[in-house]
Amino acid sequence: MAKAPASSFPVLGSSADPASGGFAENAARHQELVGDLRQRLGRAAMGGPEPARRRHLERGKLLPRDRLAHLLDPGSPFLELSPLAATGCYDDEAPAAGIICGVGRVAGRECLVVVNDATVKGGTYYPLTVKKHLRAQEVALANHLPCIYLVDSGGAYLPRQDEVFPDRDHFGRVFYNQATMSAKGIAQIAAVLGSCTAGGAYVPAMSDEAVIVRNQGTIFLGGPPLVRAATGEIVSAEELGGGELHARRSGVTDHLADDDRHALAIVREIVSTLAPRGARSWGTEVPEDPAVDPDELYGVVPTDLRSSYDVHEVIARLVDGSRFLEFKAEYGPTLVCGFANIWGHPVGVVANNGILFSESALKGAHFIELCDRRRVPLLFLQNISGFMVGPHYEAGGIAKHGAKMVTAVSCARVPKLTVVIGGSFGAGNYSMCGRAYGPRFLWMWPNARISVMGGEQAASVLATIRRDQLEARGESWSAQEEEAFKVPLRAQYEEQGNPYYSTARLWDDGVIDPLDTRRVVALGLSVSANAPLDDVGYGVFRM
Amino acid sequence: MTRSPISAAATAAHGSSATAGVPGATGSVRSLDSVLVANRGEIVVRVCRTLASLGIHSVAIYAPDDAGAPHTLAADMALAVDGYLDAPSIVAAAKAAAADAVHPGYGFLSEDPAFARAVLGAGLVWVGPSPEVIAAMGDKIRAKETVAAAGVPVVPGAGRPGMGDAELAAAALEVGLPVLVKPAAGGGGKGMRRVVAEADLLPAITSARREAQGAFGDDTLLVERWVGSPRHVEVQVFADQHGHVVHLGERECSLQRRHQKIVEESPSPLLDDATRAEMTKCAVDAARACGYVGAGTVEFVVPGHQPETFFFMEMNTRLQVEHPVTEAVAGIDLVEWQLRVARGEPLPLGQPAVSRRGHAIEARVYAEDPMRGFLPSSGTVLALEEPVGQPFVRVDSALSRGASVGARYDPMLAKVIAWGETREESLHRLRAALEQTAVLGVRTNVGYLTRLLAHEDVVAGRLDTGLVDRTLAEIAAPGHAESRDAAAVAACCLAAEREPEGAVVDPWDVPDGWSVGGPLEWVAALAHDGRAVTVTVRGRVLDGASVCVAGGPPLHVRAEPLDADASKLSVTIDGTRATWRTARVRDEIWVSRRGEAWRFVEDRAARGRTDSTGHTDSTGHTDSTDSAAGLVTSPMPGVVVDVHVALGDVVHAGQLLVVVEAMKMEHAVAAPGDGVVRELLVVPGQSVKLDELLARVEPAGAPGATTSGAPDATTSGAPDATTSGAPGATTSRDVDVRDEA
Repeated sequence: MAKAPASSFPVLGSSADPASGGFAENAARHQELVGDLRQRLGRAAMGGPEPARRRHLERGKLLPRDRLAHLLDPGSPFLELSPLAATGCYDDEAPAAGIICGVGRVAGRECLVVVNDATVKGGTYYPLTVKKHLRAQEVALANHLPCIYLVDSGGAYLPRQDEVFPDRDHFGRVFYNQATMSAKGIAQIAAVLGSCTAGGAYVPAMSDEAVIVRNQGTIFLGGPPLVRAATGEIVSAEELGGGELHARRSGVTDHLADDDRHALAIVREIVSTLAPRGARSWGTEVPEDPAVDPDELYGVVPTDLRSSYDVHEVIARLVDGSRFLEFKAEYGPTLVCGFANIWGHPVGVVANNGILFSESALKGAHFIELCDRRRVPLLFLQNISGFMVGPHYEAGGIAKHGAKMVTAVSCARVPKLTVVIGGSFGAGNYSMCGRAYGPRFLWMWPNARISVMGGEQAASVLATIRRDQLEARGESWSAQEEEAFKVPLRAQYEEQGNPYYSTARLWDDGVIDPLDTRRVVALGLSVSANAPLDDVGYGVFRM
Repeated sequence: MTRSPISAAATAAHGSSATAGVPGATGSVRSLDSVLVANRGEIVVRVCRTLASLGIHSVAIYAPDDAGAPHTLAADMALAVDGYLDAPSIVAAAKAAAADAVHPGYGFLSEDPAFARAVLGAGLVWVGPSPEVIAAMGDKIRAKETVAAAGVPVVPGAGRPGMGDAELAAAALEVGLPVLVKPAAGGGGKGMRRVVAEADLLPAITSARREAQGAFGDDTLLVERWVGSPRHVEVQVFADQHGHVVHLGERECSLQRRHQKIVEESPSPLLDDATRAEMTKCAVDAARACGYVGAGTVEFVVPGHQPETFFFMEMNTRLQVEHPVTEAVAGIDLVEWQLRVARGEPLPLGQPAVSRRGHAIEARVYAEDPMRGFLPSSGTVLALEEPVGQPFVRVDSALSRGASVGARYDPMLAKVIAWGETREESLHRLRAALEQTAVLGVRTNVGYLTRLLAHEDVVAGRLDTGLVDRTLAEIAAPGHAESRDAAAVAACCLAAEREPEGAVVDPWDVPDGWSVGGPLEWVAALAHDGRAVTVTVRGRVLDGASVCVAGGPPLHVRAEPLDADASKLSVTIDGTRATWRTARVRDEIWVSRRGEAWRFVEDRAARGRTDSTGHTDSTGHTDSTDSAAGLVTSPMPGVVVDVHVALGDVVHAGQLLVVVEAMKMEHAVAAPGDGVVRELLVVPGQSVKLDELLARVEPAGAPGATTSGAPDATTSGAPDATTSGAPGATTSRDVDVRDEA
């Protein structure tokens, strides 16, 4: 692209003092949070309970993560999606929602990989399993990633069929997505490494090319128990839908493998036959490490959301060479906007540096339009308690100014990536590209919080309304009673605003170590460059 | 002349070799301007070196399948011939090249009197003794009679054509038990029987006779006194056309495998001065007795427990493979002497002027696999490092990168010779030189040689011809830790291939296995010697990664390329750094360190089978299915010499189907079970690869029924895979294992 290289941008400095008490305190708190994150990730990565894993291995099958290790190129990074899905849900019976999803490199090509974990309730689909599978397909569609499904699943989790089967974004959407992605030239590849029962049978059947393992993989619409119930026929699973049957007679599969490893090798070979990817949507430059030590991120970011700090300290530790060409630095300074590179990819950074005012919103809308015109992907660093309130601001039209930014965020055709580095509250979430605004990826730091407003705020608002009601009836409300009213509200917001509550429900693509942010964003940017860009087009900006 | 460092050193110790000529020598001297070397491999390179130093034009020959071989590049010109055993075409080539003389080298036609006669008949000079002497010494019985008449001790024995079994048995008792019963014809241990008890004598004679008849078409037998713990000591003699004969000291060649020498040294660590004097005198007497001219070797057997006695075995009428050890201690270029003698000059030195200094040891580098009972190997040299240019070390080699090593020719690739003031010093230098040798792409015995030379009996000089076989199980394979490290390094090679070239422009190119929960493990599914070796790697080896080999404890491994194509890696394993050589071709990964080389096969796409430990037999086939399917494969790379069945023949289990030969061994490939020959894919003369399909025998009865549990010998992992199979698998048959040198 014909712009000056980012290497000519001004270099950000840092005013952080690693020797200060606050720095050490912040660092210690982040260490603790990241330690907790790693523990959670480690537990979830184990998959199902030990006896289930043992049985799985006894059948000659590889554990899901070993399947992944054999599938991916040696040393390939793996951009896993929501590894902590379903945390705290379903009595914690479904670690990672029983499915591993992510982007990894296979035969030199970044692919979206979906791996059922049969050690988790036979790989059946809980509601969140469906949601995670669909989110993975959404990522594949948005970024034009070939899809690889390593199938080993009993299909829908029957006790919760009402939450899994009938609705638009339920199980059927998986196959709809396969058909429509295939139509767009996004390859759909399946390896049947275990059961593929009922609806699950359509995963290989809807794929462009499918592999099955003999004496292990089975595909049928109705399993032996159902056949017996329906017709009285007694038939073994292998006879009914085994590898030999589908490879030699039914033609449902295209390749017959001896075992997991063989099947995965065939999948790799299939990927190597795919048409080459299209040209990237933007040019890249040679990456450069940040000039300011990225390892200091822990120390410069307070974990208490009430403490303010300068978001330039974060930007300096994320972008190439700490170089940042800031836009409208003096105007609307509570929103920091500017151009930078991350791992050589151009990026327009939109970062909160305090509450949003009308000026900040106008600046943000302007900057987003610039990036969109210039094919520069957007990176939102969210730490926002919301828009300013009060009569002066309402009268100044903050609602319409905020709406301009929300319009710009919604309509921008360049890829948007969002990292919630602090609070994500209220309309701030919208203007800063929350989940509803279709960011290609959205990650959270362990210190982040997300809710419609803060817990204390919500408790106060509700208490005020309550007091007004009581006082209107002439009743009195003591301070103790008010406090007792607020406690459960605060607790509810605290629980639901927690990043693990969020990630369990697929409100994000995962909680990440702040130190991994640069790498995660870079991997996401690289993946985002796969898909061609639409034309620029905006709705009405209310003036 | 150009001398290798060791011969230069030896010469310095002796003064110039061209001073004290044999007095009184006269006669016509013929000029040699051009010499054809009727051979291939390292000996051609070596002879050409001396020819160049003497200003003589060198002519090499090559067989149709050997064009471009390294030896053809060593000569000034090279001509095509029909084969290295094709005397008429070689003589024609010599004439066409206007050569004056033919140097036969060793092996091939070097001891064929008819060839010598043909050379002489064409008016060319033959660099060697007369055809009559070659013929006389080539006949074992006649040779023995000739030297015995000159007073040289021979092994007590008896036997002549027409002797009956009972007569031979009586003669054997007269010689004294134990005795060796052996065929008069042939050699190499075929048909030989050792008899200790009188009761076993007649049965042994009967079966030896049958075997001799079968193998050589001649059932004449000899009996000889059994020599216990035999040691092989030989004396280098030299004679000119003027009646002068000198000896250049002895060599001991007791380290042998399959009756072929692998390590030779001079002097022998066994002999005392008196025995040495007596033996060398006998050798000179033997040479005189047959009217010898040129370079010759008189071989003796010495009972290990009776080192003061020795018996004549045979005389070799050519230059020996191991001549460099004599050159190193005597400071003489034997090829130069051969050429001077051939020109009619007198010997450059008389016996009193021949002096010897220090000790020299030679190790032969063979394309063979000690872990498969020294089965010949083949392949293309992918990378090569030889200890050339090191002080006191000489390398005679015809190896080069890209050279193809086939089964058609002798598997000897090179020789490494080290000189020292003492035996200990030369042994150390030789070991060090071998440890700096790396041959990748073809399996060699180099690593094995380093271990053999470190064996306590070899270090102590307690040698005998059975030592190699006796100690093979102990030292055939490299140590467990070394092999484990090699597997880790092979994984590093795969990792190095994933490293981006130049500046990284894409985060997906960084092969560190990054994931949000920590580095993702990846699996290098490798196979070594048909056994799966699974290596797991966590992290980027360039920065230091955690590597587990075959489920073992994690090793901290860091590997940095030392050159652009990562053919040399500096690898630090748990804190210890070493340099490894690596090479990659298709799915093969070769890694080498300290002489040993490991060949791993990457099994990522192989259609393997998972075993109980999750590891995979990556040979890509299983023993049972092969035999059940009636697939008959070649047990080794080689040439089909015989096909005993035709398509559609009904065969029974164990019936001979095809004979595959690689150099000195013939392998009878038998039917895996009863059935019908449904496919026959080879014809005599065809080259076949290891495990190449030769034929398919459809099993009798129900299709797919297993008729034989015969394991595939080539994947059995037994030390001698060729004989480890169940009956009906493969059997090995040594046809002619007579040492060429």
